[in-house]
Amino acid sequence: MPVPVLLPELGESVLEATIAKWLVKEGDTVERDQPLVEVTTDKVDAEIPAPEAGVVVGLLVAEGETVPVGTEIATIDADAVATTSAAPAASATAAPAAPSGSAAARPSATPVAERLAADRGVDLGQVQGSGVSGRITRADVENAGSGAPAAQPPPPAPPPPQHIKAPTAAPAPAPHLAGAKERFGYYAIQEGDNVIPMSPLRKIVAEHMVYSKHTSPHVGTVAEVDMGGIYALRGKNKNAFRQAQGFSLTYLPFLVHATVRALREFPILNASVIEDAIVEKRDIHIGIAVETEKGLVVPVVRNADRLSLAGLAAEVEDLSSRARNKKLTADDLQGGTFTVSNPGRQGNLYGFAIINQPQVGILRMGEMVKRPVIRDVDGADAIVVRPMMHVALSYDHRAVDGSPANGFLFRVRQLLEEADFDV
Amino acid sequence: MSLQIDWLGQVPYGRALELQKQAVEDRCAGRCGDRLFLLEHPPVVTFGRSGKPENLRVPESELQARGIELHHVARGGDVTFHAPGQLVGYAIVDLEARGKPDVVAWLRQLESCLFDALAELGVAGAAEPGKTGVYVAGAEPLRKLASIGVGVRRWVTFHGFALNVTLDPASFDVIVPCGLEDVSMTSVAKELGIAATPTLLMRSREAVATAFARALP
Repeated sequence: MPVPVLLPELGESVLEATIAKWLVKEGDTVERDQPLVEVTTDKVDAEIPAPEAGVVVGLLVAEGETVPVGTEIATIDADAVATTSAAPAASATAAPAAPSGSAAARPSATPVAERLAADRGVDLGQVQGSGVSGRITRADVENAGSGAPAAQPPPPAPPPPQHIKAPTAAPAPAPHLAGAKERFGYYAIQEGDNVIPMSPLRKIVAEHMVYSKHTSPHVGTVAEVDMGGIYALRGKNKNAFRQAQGFSLTYLPFLVHATVRALREFPILNASVIEDAIVEKRDIHIGIAVETEKGLVVPVVRNADRLSLAGLAAEVEDLSSRARNKKLTADDLQGGTFTVSNPGRQGNLYGFAIINQPQVGILRMGEMVKRPVIRDVDGADAIVVRPMMHVALSYDHRAVDGSPANGFLFRVRQLLEEADFDV
Repeated sequence: MSLQIDWLGQVPYGRALELQKQAVEDRCAGRCGDRLFLLEHPPVVTFGRSGKPENLRVPESELQARGIELHHVARGGDVTFHAPGQLVGYAIVDLEARGKPDVVAWLRQLESCLFDALAELGVAGAAEPGKTGVYVAGAEPLRKLASIGVGVRRWVTFHGFALNVTLDPASFDVIVPCGLEDVSMTSVAKELGIAATPTLLMRSREAVATAFARALP
């Protein structure tokens, strides 16, 4: 009796599929559920099993052809199971029948049946084969294993293979957290404590900070900068600048401008450690650390060395306003080669920022305060009042030694004090 | 029903194929429950059943020179590339036992789990009609974060997804990913604008495991 093999429904919205590869040929004897063909549809490759045991009498669709669901793709002659022994090798392409002579000595079994028998400890000699030429099929072994009359008492259910652990819905704790409780002490949350789940951004920042401190030996150096020149320059130009540009001129662009010029002279601060090499970068892209209500972000001013002071000011203004309005894109945050951090009015005297990996340096501005300092006035020391700012450099001692780092920071200070900027 | 999730570390492609084959057989025979293998591969290019040779951009000798293996495999989809820094997930799941024998629904399920994992990491993922995979939400032109391709044997799935975490998207230059010329590859690290750290890989693994454990309890 011919049994049609239909292309089954693979999913509600799957209307057709392509025959990718026939796994059997015409004349082959197949078991029920043996894979006949691989069919493919968008991103899915599915094996179609034989609906019945029998002999494949027709493969109706060629490899590469696409047919609708429900199409008959092959035909199996189910009766052939019982009768093939009478007509073995009926066609030239038929599979050779099992050698019947040796059947008595060592019963012939399908590979699946052999493996199953080995797994379950079933003696194949005790099993009556129901397949072609008395070949033992998987079903025969299963029946024998479940206590069919001829077989010895069924062996106990096989123990689950060793690699299968007790099912768990939740994944095991991450390796880097395992044991943390024991090693570092543990705080049990108490009533009245405020538990704030970390936002994704908070987690990323946290991870980045830990990674940076692990990776780079940080060294800090501070310069005290007389901002008097820039203070005067800004005071003189701020109204005109505001009218021309539409936003206020802050101190940050001056810092960035001086930093960029000093980086050109000390390229080792504009670098990354990549495996066993220090890579001094051709381009200078300055990250600007900006505090937003959601947390810290560091948008990047690209090719900062090609921009005028006004250009830098415009770029900084654009990035920080977009950071506050959450309009930054992934590209805005990428590729910085050095970072300047401006903690704002409450930045305190000075502080050392953590390096923004994979960079090797970060400059942090302190608060600007008028202080009495000693200056040479008409050839005599005099106490004068000047707006002073501490600027702190953190650098990666893997790549940068003290001498270039000090030289760099000293140069930044010089450029700020000279106040030779084209506003 | 339960899903057992295992992190296997770095596994050569051929070994992972054998492992899946065995797991599918075990699942079909009812010897184990549903599994999710999480792993990384050494550099390898694989062609799915719909793979077109022209989507390999360099001669095979060039792959050899770069130490990249080449495999043709029984999964849907075109050509793809795996390397360390990419989180690969192979899901051995009996769709029939879960009451939803529908391969397209399974593709959507994989995407949905990856959306959840990505949200946890701070990246908004999105689907693209007609182009199975996970893309950066709202990106124009499309930027792809994860490729998806599955096999099904007696309603038990194998293969799964490959999520670029810290893998440099430029390393896809040897192929036309999934045969899509107008799509560029990206990574979680790139989208977040942060360095490719080992901890990011670990966190991605956790996020993916959590998403699957929730979706397939």
